[in-house]
Amino acid sequence: MSVEVKNVTKKFGSFIALDNVNLKVESGELVALLGPSGSGKTTLLRTIAGLEFPDPGTAQILFYGEDVTLIPASERKAGFAFQHYALFRHMSVFENIAFGLRVRPKTTRPPEDEIRQRVNKLLQLIQLEPLAKRYPSQLSGGQRQRVALARALAVEPKVLLLDEPFGALDAKVRKELRRWLRQLHDEIHITTLFVTHDQEEALEVSDRVAILRAGKIEQIGSPEEIYDNPASPFVYDFLGNVNLFSGRVHEGSVIIGDTEFSVPETAGETETSTVAFVRPHDIRITREANGDKTFAALVVRSNAAGPVANLELARVNGGVQFTAQLSKEEFQQLQLKTGERVFVELKNVKVFNEDFSI
Amino acid sequence: MAQKLFKSKTRVLPGFRLTLGYTLLYLSLIVLIPLAAVFWKTSLLTWPQFVQVITSPQALAAYRLSFGASLLAALINSVFGLIVAWVLVRYNFFGKKFVDALVDLPFALPTAVAGITLATLYAPNGWIGQFFEPLGIKISFTRLGVLVALTFIGLPFIVRTVQPILEDFEPEIEEAAASLGANRWQVFWRIIFPTLTPALITGFALAFARALGEYGSVVFISSNIPMKTQIVPLLIMTKLEQFDYPGATALAVVMLVFSFVLLLTINVLQWWANRYNATNLS
Amino acid sequence: MTPVATTLHLPRAGTQRRSTSEPPWVRWLLITIALLFLTLFLFVPLIAVFAQGLNKGIGFYLKTLSDPLAWSAIKLTLIAAGISVPLNCVFGVCAAWAIAKFDFRGKNILLTLIDLPFSISPVISGMIYVLVFGAQGWLGLYMNADKPWFPWLAQWLNVHDFHIIFAVPGIVLATIFVTFPFVARELIPLMQAQGRTEEEAARVLGASGWQTFWRVTLPNIKWGLIYGVVLCNARAMGEFGAVSVVSGHIRGETNTIPLHVEILYNEYNFTGAFAVASVLAFLALITLALKLWAERKNAALHAASQ
Repeated sequence: MSVEVKNVTKKFGSFIALDNVNLKVESGELVALLGPSGSGKTTLLRTIAGLEFPDPGTAQILFYGEDVTLIPASERKAGFAFQHYALFRHMSVFENIAFGLRVRPKTTRPPEDEIRQRVNKLLQLIQLEPLAKRYPSQLSGGQRQRVALARALAVEPKVLLLDEPFGALDAKVRKELRRWLRQLHDEIHITTLFVTHDQEEALEVSDRVAILRAGKIEQIGSPEEIYDNPASPFVYDFLGNVNLFSGRVHEGSVIIGDTEFSVPETAGETETSTVAFVRPHDIRITREANGDKTFAALVVRSNAAGPVANLELARVNGGVQFTAQLSKEEFQQLQLKTGERVFVELKNVKVFNEDFSI
Repeated sequence: MAQKLFKSKTRVLPGFRLTLGYTLLYLSLIVLIPLAAVFWKTSLLTWPQFVQVITSPQALAAYRLSFGASLLAALINSVFGLIVAWVLVRYNFFGKKFVDALVDLPFALPTAVAGITLATLYAPNGWIGQFFEPLGIKISFTRLGVLVALTFIGLPFIVRTVQPILEDFEPEIEEAAASLGANRWQVFWRIIFPTLTPALITGFALAFARALGEYGSVVFISSNIPMKTQIVPLLIMTKLEQFDYPGATALAVVMLVFSFVLLLTINVLQWWANRYNATNLS
Repeated sequence: MTPVATTLHLPRAGTQRRSTSEPPWVRWLLITIALLFLTLFLFVPLIAVFAQGLNKGIGFYLKTLSDPLAWSAIKLTLIAAGISVPLNCVFGVCAAWAIAKFDFRGKNILLTLIDLPFSISPVISGMIYVLVFGAQGWLGLYMNADKPWFPWLAQWLNVHDFHIIFAVPGIVLATIFVTFPFVARELIPLMQAQGRTEEEAARVLGASGWQTFWRVTLPNIKWGLIYGVVLCNARAMGEFGAVSVVSGHIRGETNTIPLHVEILYNEYNFTGAFAVASVLAFLALITLALKLWAERKNAALHAASQ
């Protein structure tokens, strides 16, 4: 176990940023802390780095079993990359990366040529060797982020902590850089935690995702686990687009209007009103009715720009609007027009027992 | 206690106690304790004595001159300072950078130098005074001279408060107003001027406060005749030279109280000026 | 008083758009008014200082400046500035560190108190030290008390005839007071704008407090610090009112350069007064040049950064 967070609570005035958080991270894992703004994800990361301290109590933070709760940031050996990079603007790229080595006490400071070697190796790793002499103001956003990462790695940290590493970049650079981060991680295998509010990013890059809400970890698991089995409506909603249908639970299925959809996990519950969650890509559209497995809807709007087609539909019975996502081919085969009547089948219907609010 | 220890141990950046402690100590020794002496010395006067000193005819005449001339100088600077700032930000002309740099001269030039120079220039036979002499206008050694000196020392305040606001003014806003049919004069009065008002008022208050306390430049250009051309700081100086310390401190208290009020006003004004920006901080 | 005018602001390239500018005659009228006003109040006085100083020839000019009394005034001015500038510099850095890098209650009150010396008349600034250290002040009371605390101190002061007021220490103290806020006022907004993340980054990388300050904070505030020091020094060397109150006006002993100018002027040695004044005016020009240079460097350092 490389990082362990136990019973950490952190209040700012009356605002509870972290509410008794517990988290365990395995060695070499890449974990995403995902949540909306104000959920406490950055506070948690800063607390692990030693930039914030938990409220006194039973809180504990362990690095490889060693209690570092009261050890200041400068001695914790956690590499931290700041959201806006916090590069030293008066130092070149090279000097920025070398900083952590140069400030070591004489006894543990590597000799000058070793510092050079190590920095050059890192420059190679981040593919910025030709820019070693540049200043931060002369770099692009993506380059600055890579320098910030190299600077954090230079001190050979036990843990790498990244605060919204791609937050300030434009969409294209973001995608490139997160693939690069995954590759880098596969190469050097350092335990890494990163904060993000972008679910796509979290699901694509990380080994495990921890979803935070109002200072608590709502769910933690592999990307597949949390996507396929969200623990709460909040997680379900946060991970992607969602359609809500109100209906009734009845003997292992959910009845929406006159149509019955099988939801095995509700077996044993009877006759309660409920809300069913369905992802847009789990909605099938057909021209023909399929007995009591489908219900009728009207096409309100369609948009086929991009790799998939998005449909906006309204139930004939009640007029509730929802969206569906089709592949391009399906969309072309169906040749749908606005105002046309179609039949809708729902797959992977999800029902949560408590708390229907999102 | 444990809580406290925890707190001091867990600040990320060091040196808070040391630097704040030193700041407070140095501030107390250099500024606060000596200032307290003014109130101590004044407290040796009885209330009627105090009132008598601060409302003597000589004091009243000095207030009138100090406040009147300072107010007028600040007004002159508001008008011309706004024009100078506008010209420096909006137009290009030969030597602009040089002029821009020289606007700060009154901050850098010792007041005594300004005093003797202005006195000589605006004297009846001086370079500038000679043009006013035939018109029957005397500047040096009159109240007008006091006004000239106070205008000089207050000059940079308006320019330097207004300039950054003008520089940051987004051209899109003016373009929007123009596209909505406003003519240039309307754009200035309805769009630009209201934006500049807080800075203008702040600059005015700063120039006014500076002029009220000014001594070095005025003492040379004024004839310093009691009841006529004597400003408050000079009256205090005269009393000090006569070893009338209680009298001097009583007048100083009046000036200090007024300065504090002005300082408070300036701070409130700056808070008010920034009120539009406050919501941007999230 | 908040010295708005002494705050660094980053100049921006002026962009002119045709749709929003004035007709040429308005422009030229405004430029003319502005230049005329500045000519009357700035340019002519500046030229006049040098012209008046040199009007009896270069020989007289040099003779005035090489006068031993002038030299002793220069020496005292250098001493006063040499003590007050470093002290206020250390104070400024400390105050800015505490105020900009930490959150605590009463910060606004502290800021206002630091500004106080700017809003006090120089005459009052000098007077307060007379009230503390003068014969009729607290020190006088102490030395004349029947049973003073620390009798050895009172005795030592009496025996050595140690004076603060109307002597060099008073001049130094008054100079410290009037230049008190310069460096602090310059650094506080600069360090507040820079935030704490660079320092935090240095700490996470293992830097100690001192290393963080010397290697990260100081290089960032370097030009602002120089800017503050330049202004502080200009005021220290040019202060007249406050120093005049605490100086004994003893030639060759308690005269600073501005006081020397006054004495020459009051003796109707106008050319001599202007000759000495021209030294101060030259110093003012150097100050403006240095200030501009520091402003540019600071803007360059902080331009395009994030």
